[in-house]
Amino acid sequence: MSYDASFERLPISACFDLKGAESALVEWIGAEVLPEFPAKANRCCKADGVSLDHVGPRHWLLHADIDREGELNAALRPNEATPEVSIVRVSDTMTTFRIAGIDAAHVLAIGCPLDLHETAFPEDAVSFTEFFGQKALVRRCIGGFDVSVEQSFGDMLEDYLTRALR
Amino acid sequence: MMLIPCPFCGHRSESEFAYGGPVKPDRPDPHTTSDEDWVEYLTTVPNPLGPVQERWWHVKGCGTWLTIWRDTRTHDIVEGPGDAG
Amino acid sequence: MQDRRFPTGGRIDRGQPLAFRFNGKEYTGFSGDTLASALLANNVRLTARSFKYHRPRGIVGSGPEEPATLVELDGRHASANQAATTVRLEDGMAARSVNCWPSPGLDVGAVNQLFAGLIPAGFYYKTFKWPGWHLYEPTIRKAAGLAGAPEAPPLDGHFEAVHAHADVLVVGAGPAGLMAALVAGRAGRRVFLADERIEAGGSLLDRRLEIAGRPALDWVAESVAELETMPNVTHLQDASAWAYREHNCLMVNERSLVNSTVLERNWRVRAGRVILATGAIERGLVFPQNDRPGVMLASAAQAYVNRFAVKPGERTVVFANNDSAYGVASDLRASGIDVAAIVDSRDVIPDFARNFAGDIPIRAGAVVVGVRGRRAVRGVAVAERDGRGAEKIDCDLLLHSGGWNPTVHLFSQSRGRLRYDDSLATFVPDEAVQACASVGGAAGELSLASALRTGAEAAAKATGTKIPDLPAATEESYSIAPLWHVDAPGAKGKAFLDIQNDVTVDDVRLALIEGYDSVEHVKRYTTGGMGFDQGKTGNVNIVGTIARQKGVPLQDVGTTTFRPPYTPVSFGAIGGIREESVVLPYRHTPVTRWNLDRGAFMYEAGARWRRPGYFPCGDEMFQETVNRECRAVRECVGVYDGSPLGKFELKGRDVDRFLDHIYTNLMSTLKPGQCRYGLMLTEDGLILDDGVAMRLGEHRWLVSTSTAHADTVHGHMDELLQTQFPDWNVHVTPVTSQWNNATVCGPKAREVVAALDTDIDLSPEELPFMRFADGHVAGLPARVVRVSFTGELSFEINVAPRHMRDLWERIMEAGEPFGIEPVGSEASHVLRVEKGFLSLGHEVDGTVDAHDLGMGWIMSKKKGDYVGKRSVELRRRGNAIRRELVGLLPVDPNVQIPEGAPLTPGGETRPTEGLVTACVWSVVLDRWVALALLENGQSRHGETVHVRLKNATVAADVMAPVFYDPEGRKMRS
Repeated sequence: MSYDASFERLPISACFDLKGAESALVEWIGAEVLPEFPAKANRCCKADGVSLDHVGPRHWLLHADIDREGELNAALRPNEATPEVSIVRVSDTMTTFRIAGIDAAHVLAIGCPLDLHETAFPEDAVSFTEFFGQKALVRRCIGGFDVSVEQSFGDMLEDYLTRALR
Repeated sequence: MMLIPCPFCGHRSESEFAYGGPVKPDRPDPHTTSDEDWVEYLTTVPNPLGPVQERWWHVKGCGTWLTIWRDTRTHDIVEGPGDAG
Repeated sequence: MQDRRFPTGGRIDRGQPLAFRFNGKEYTGFSGDTLASALLANNVRLTARSFKYHRPRGIVGSGPEEPATLVELDGRHASANQAATTVRLEDGMAARSVNCWPSPGLDVGAVNQLFAGLIPAGFYYKTFKWPGWHLYEPTIRKAAGLAGAPEAPPLDGHFEAVHAHADVLVVGAGPAGLMAALVAGRAGRRVFLADERIEAGGSLLDRRLEIAGRPALDWVAESVAELETMPNVTHLQDASAWAYREHNCLMVNERSLVNSTVLERNWRVRAGRVILATGAIERGLVFPQNDRPGVMLASAAQAYVNRFAVKPGERTVVFANNDSAYGVASDLRASGIDVAAIVDSRDVIPDFARNFAGDIPIRAGAVVVGVRGRRAVRGVAVAERDGRGAEKIDCDLLLHSGGWNPTVHLFSQSRGRLRYDDSLATFVPDEAVQACASVGGAAGELSLASALRTGAEAAAKATGTKIPDLPAATEESYSIAPLWHVDAPGAKGKAFLDIQNDVTVDDVRLALIEGYDSVEHVKRYTTGGMGFDQGKTGNVNIVGTIARQKGVPLQDVGTTTFRPPYTPVSFGAIGGIREESVVLPYRHTPVTRWNLDRGAFMYEAGARWRRPGYFPCGDEMFQETVNRECRAVRECVGVYDGSPLGKFELKGRDVDRFLDHIYTNLMSTLKPGQCRYGLMLTEDGLILDDGVAMRLGEHRWLVSTSTAHADTVHGHMDELLQTQFPDWNVHVTPVTSQWNNATVCGPKAREVVAALDTDIDLSPEELPFMRFADGHVAGLPARVVRVSFTGELSFEINVAPRHMRDLWERIMEAGEPFGIEPVGSEASHVLRVEKGFLSLGHEVDGTVDAHDLGMGWIMSKKKGDYVGKRSVELRRRGNAIRRELVGLLPVDPNVQIPEGAPLTPGGETRPTEGLVTACVWSVVLDRWVALALLENGQSRHGETVHVRLKNATVAADVMAPVFYDPEGRKMRS
């Protein structure tokens, strides 16, 4: 192996896609369930094991461990939500790879055109970008990066990462 | 490889975007517009040598459909006639 | 035996000998050598044959400008068309000359030289005209031209392409580039420094100059060491910046990586500012036989002596029109090489230059009019410019210098314009167009002091910092009087302007005479400056020759466009790791592994999904397999994996009117729990997609699309919502990968699903056709949808992907008593053709509308407007003949019609009246059946039409496009 990096495929986590005006979402869900809304684009806020990623205009992703999916679903009540907001459970939609090690940033750079230097992509950054040709959500983790791609591309990504780490 | 300014994400690599074509005039009202004008709307696409207003979809990013002015001679992203302050 | 190697000196490590092979013979060089310097050390002088005439050639340069000695590398280094001067020597390397067979010494193609007078520029274009160039091209390409691609990929290692970002990208680590990198690095910026040579120093490696009173290479070493300590600096050597693209995106190809499985790494660098410190390339002089082995650029000889401790000859003549060659003569003489004379075309030679020459005889106002020796230089003929005072001088090395060209290739690729500078007699960068600056030799700043100064200035400006104090440097002076080519009386024979492409002065003259007036036309007619040479040594001489012939200033002639790559780069490096299994993207469902274990034949079936085509059993033939799967569905039960279908959840107050706008039919009348098949058009009335919309709640919908068009429909909806209807309250969330589905279909489908244990009432009364219900199936949260793409009773069981494999196995288990079979894409195709269900890409192309398909009912008349409505109406106005969907029964039931075959009136050679869109073996009719688009087909049921094949016609009876259960009783059951 020529790079000091490794990857693993993480189990799925609970994920809800939230769209609409921030105020409408807060009003429907209740401020106590959600972390603070990130003030800037492509940043995330975390509280109490739940993270809220601002990934698009009027668009957030709410993440937590999979064992909290039911609890969050009960709090978010996606199917009953007011028409102004959209809340969709998307826990299965993406599969996440954790890439860690001294060379993790280089391995990311093989597949990703985004500048992931800490000055451009700090600790709380999270963004959709491209990874090995596919749409991917990238964030930092301890010692590296978590990259999520649409679940159906998971095997291909594993193939790519195995090749990148040769 | 161009660097395209996304209003949400900032400058991003062209590979994150899908091309949406030049911006056409607003869709005419199909009930009142003449056949000629309808066909003109469908088939005439701006194709200037120089700045052209066009749409890009940030499909691998935040999903925004954005509009830029791009100089077809140079790939420079420029201020459009309407943007100048 | 390196008998041309000096015992001491040079940037080579005599403690590390490296064995290598060249054209089958074994040699040794040292670590630090290039292939070229090692060959010269071994006194290998005839190293190549030329592009067109197969003339013997030797080593001309010392860097990427090398026009003559191009090699193919074998084995681990396998690549084609590398300049020997840029190949870092490695142990065990094997190289061959390109363009000669069997060897440069005995080259069969050399017979071309006998006819050289008959093959001037444009010869091939003029001669090989009849009956067509393509008849001759392969042979000519083989005889002329360069090496082919290696036959097999490298045995070990792989290529890599990687993105990088920098505040300041510095190209070139000579004095200007190092200085710039130091200033930018000290300012804390992210600096990317790339240099094409094996080690840093640029021209300082080749020369004997001083910085701050000490050898310049000491300063280089200290600078490199300082850069090494800066975490914000990436410094690469043996890395060539080969392309400068829009928005400051540059390509840098890193070669010869140490301790890595990566063969070449291509960096795609996006830079805030670019500092081009690419140096300058010496151009040759143009005189008869200026291509003989042993005729070398003066600066190259200096590099071989100083950098590689190689003696390129015993006795040399130096021919120049400028001052820089005098320093070369001085270095060579100091190394013990006999410099017989300096021949200078100028009448007046500055004292600064003259002082270097010492007691070397100088012939001012003189030129070289010829070279003796074919395979090696044996002497030169010298005369004054008017032809008088001719003399012959014996020598084995002729050095020449026609001046210096700033290496403007990258600057020019960045669209920066060039300006002709009279005092330097060359083109220099004018105003930059992108955020870049040229410094040092690249800017025409040819002295060491000005290189250091301009490098520091540019970096200070780029970083907004102060210009540091600069170290003192050896004083230099430079002057030149241009000499574009030697045309003294007595100068006869081929004088090459472009050695790589075998372009002579006469070729350019011929091009001009034949009317190829512009420099771009001359380039194309003669091929001068083409290929990977990109005019490194010859371009300015070509421009000068044109200017002289036309009697216009060089500025008016201009230069040709410099194109990437600046130096050769492997295709592999551009592609990076994207090869073999990942050359195309692919998608799997949770059932993929099961399919493979079951022995499915897998292939891509739309939108990159790898799906099972069919599940062969035992020694079945293809058709037997498909028939078995079809019969299972028609007679008992089958199951297929419908996960790839596109799915989008839509939410908001305006979803109703949005769906009414994008579908041709009315959706807003659906009630929660109901679904409806719908058609989407583009604004010009073509069919975009077909699918099913489901109303989940008052303001929640699920839109499913065909697999292939999921992304297109997503873009279509988002574009409309963001650009046309920004005020509409509609949110779109893709859920294609949130819902997988297994579709159980066939007369026994209800029994199988019931056997799975479900809390959903499956009765036709509670869950009729085109309804859905949420609940549990096999203990898993599921949504069951009553849609059918096979014409049979179907239950589409949707679950989250985490449960899909589980569900699938439970279905197979529960279905076993009923004879369930997994169904692949092939059988699905047969089943939908039997029903006449349309398939986008088969029945639907860019000409077909819903009316043609017999689906006029889907074009709502109640709605005033929807996407595509106006255009379809416009197109159908008047009585144009339309091709309409029909069913075909071949008169001979055992005759298969190829898909796409044309229908012509009577099967005669006449314009077609339609085409066959699909043809399958129907298991219900036990015969071949087909679908076709036929002119006025809807009114021709009962007629016999004819398919025209190459050597036969097939008669077929026209009928309605449905072969099975026309009333749709089964799917509604």
